[in-house]
Amino acid sequence: MPRIPIIMPQLGESIAEATIVTLPFKVGDPVESDQDVIEVETNKATMGVTTPCKGIVAEWLVELQQSYPVGATLGYLEVEAEEAQRLGLDVTPSHSAHPPHENNGGVPHSTPETKNAPRSVEPTVRGLPVPAHASGASYMSPRMKARMAELGIHAADMAGIAGSGAAGRVTIDDFEKFLSALDEHKLSPASSMRVAVADAMRRSWTRPLATVGMPVNIDKLLTHRRASTVKPGPALYALRALAMALGETSAPAGRLVGDKIVHPRAIDVGFAVEAEDGVLVPVLRNVDKTPLAELVDRYNELVELARQRRLPPSATGGSIATVTNFGTFGLEWATPIPLPEQTLVLGMGAGRVVPNWDKEQKQFVPVTEAQFTLSFDHRVLDGGAAGRLLSRIAALLEKPEVL
Amino acid sequence: MITYLEAIREAQAQALSTDPRVYIYGQDVGEFGGAFKATKNLAQEFPGRVIDAPISEDAIIGSAVGAAIEGMRPIVEMQFADFSTVGFNQIVNQAATLYWRTEVPCPIVVRLPSGGTAGSGPFHSQSMETLYAHYPGLVVMTPATVEDAYSMLLEAVAIDDPVIFCEHKYLYYHLKAEALPSEALPTGKARIARTGRDATIVTYSAMVHESLACAAELKSEGWEIEVIDLRSIKPLDTDTVLASVARTGRLLAVGESWPWGGVTAEVVARVASEGFDLLDAPPMRLNAKDTPVPFHPNLWGTHRPTARTISAAMRNLLRL
Repeated sequence: MPRIPIIMPQLGESIAEATIVTLPFKVGDPVESDQDVIEVETNKATMGVTTPCKGIVAEWLVELQQSYPVGATLGYLEVEAEEAQRLGLDVTPSHSAHPPHENNGGVPHSTPETKNAPRSVEPTVRGLPVPAHASGASYMSPRMKARMAELGIHAADMAGIAGSGAAGRVTIDDFEKFLSALDEHKLSPASSMRVAVADAMRRSWTRPLATVGMPVNIDKLLTHRRASTVKPGPALYALRALAMALGETSAPAGRLVGDKIVHPRAIDVGFAVEAEDGVLVPVLRNVDKTPLAELVDRYNELVELARQRRLPPSATGGSIATVTNFGTFGLEWATPIPLPEQTLVLGMGAGRVVPNWDKEQKQFVPVTEAQFTLSFDHRVLDGGAAGRLLSRIAALLEKPEVL
Repeated sequence: MITYLEAIREAQAQALSTDPRVYIYGQDVGEFGGAFKATKNLAQEFPGRVIDAPISEDAIIGSAVGAAIEGMRPIVEMQFADFSTVGFNQIVNQAATLYWRTEVPCPIVVRLPSGGTAGSGPFHSQSMETLYAHYPGLVVMTPATVEDAYSMLLEAVAIDDPVIFCEHKYLYYHLKAEALPSEALPTGKARIARTGRDATIVTYSAMVHESLACAAELKSEGWEIEVIDLRSIKPLDTDTVLASVARTGRLLAVGESWPWGGVTAEVVARVASEGFDLLDAPPMRLNAKDTPVPFHPNLWGTHRPTARTISAAMRNLLRL
């Protein structure tokens, strides 16, 4: 009778190996088709390995509590010839790695080959050859890509589809079913602004982004603003402080391209303005060289133009960092996403009066505090550098007269 | 009932009776009626027009080309496709190029009893269609049905180009039809032998029947396999193939000839280059093993694709 392998199946996306927990069947035991014959444990769940057809357990190649990779041969079944034929597995497997135990007249011992055998990962799923490029859930067939391009759909839009193909890939059938299911919902067109923001955020999200934050005392800033005739907006203070800090060292605003850091040519900084169904980012140029008071008119003008969605080309693009005042929504903390072509986004939360321990007076005194966040591309800078930059910004904000 | 072989005989009888320019030339085609009896009684029915030839494929085809230049429409029988290599020069250098050199057409038909049967071995089992399809100027027909064997042979005689007519020996006696056809698809048009939605098998000649058996088997597992019978491999009906792959997204090309190059490679190449965006899985193909055709029936049974091995290949493809 032909012997067919029992293979460690693909147990889920990103699962590479599993540990043998129980092995209830002995060599010689009869088993049914689709019967759980091995219990295995992954870092996510405990699962059963099932038989491809009925037969008799011919051999186990595994030991309890040992881990074996997906695709490894765990044992063999002796099956009827027609079962093997039906599975296309009726070619006798080369099995030289595991010769019969004929020496030392007694206890079989595992040979070095058997010990090593499970470590070699075969590029198979349930014993079937899989093209290397089709080996994961992220693989998209040419047809999938063409269909997605035709419909303007991106990979991120399909995160909710559970694929039925090899290694969990989404097949064109899965995709078409997903599309038909959408028709059962209310569908409304996304505005071009929405689509543009989505595109920018999706591209940005391909990077490892991180956020640091700290509270900043803004009493002096508020006092300074009250005394000012031009009344700069709070976000403009933050923008100018960021620009001054970057003017001292612009490296944190650099972009990583390959093995090079691309340094900014000028400290042009953008700021987020909410417009209908999206966000616009007008840009102030050379902010490190322009005092706060001289920025106010242009800033106010750009806010107005942005709200009307009439920004001139000279006021968009080319900025090296962005400031967003999410405090205007009453939020204290957020983790904004930098624009895809930028490394940094400085966020500011809503001011709040909080008790602050005054060492000289030895008592709590009320201060107005706002949380400042700095979200960054972790490829370019680390938490320490981001923290130092944010501390420098905080120090500048606490001395608004220098801005 | 009429067999595939009888259909070939009837087509030749029909051609002889309707066109005085037609004659048949080959070894033992006359009194003996042909090695496989494809010209049985034709010498008696058409005296002087079914002519025995000496054992020289070179001379047989060379003289047929000469007769075609003089306005005749000869049908040449090779006893086995394998032996056509002896006349290869006349086919590919003379017949295939004649019109392109001289504007004189070369309306010859070379009948090649092709493909494997149990126990026939390396010199009596070959599938030569790949070789001839490579040459511009030749039409290569590979009928898979009794109806096509009849209608395509008649069309082969009517075509002004030289036609290589690959008739499959495995189908000679077993394949039967109720009656000869009264109409047929034109040459160069493939036939959808079975409709399906999950995957497409593109094949021709005897492999059509193995593929249909595979489709029937997989039907019981819930799969609907579309089977395309190319009918002629040159011209090759890319449009029908692409339309089918557009429906199914998956392609398996099956051929009895050897895997290096050939019809299945051509089908895969065309789909990959012209229909890449239709593919939801890598295009695949299945051929005979890359060795000479073995004698022993058991070895032969594993050498060529069969319904069983096509099904196994198809299951792999369907699970990707």
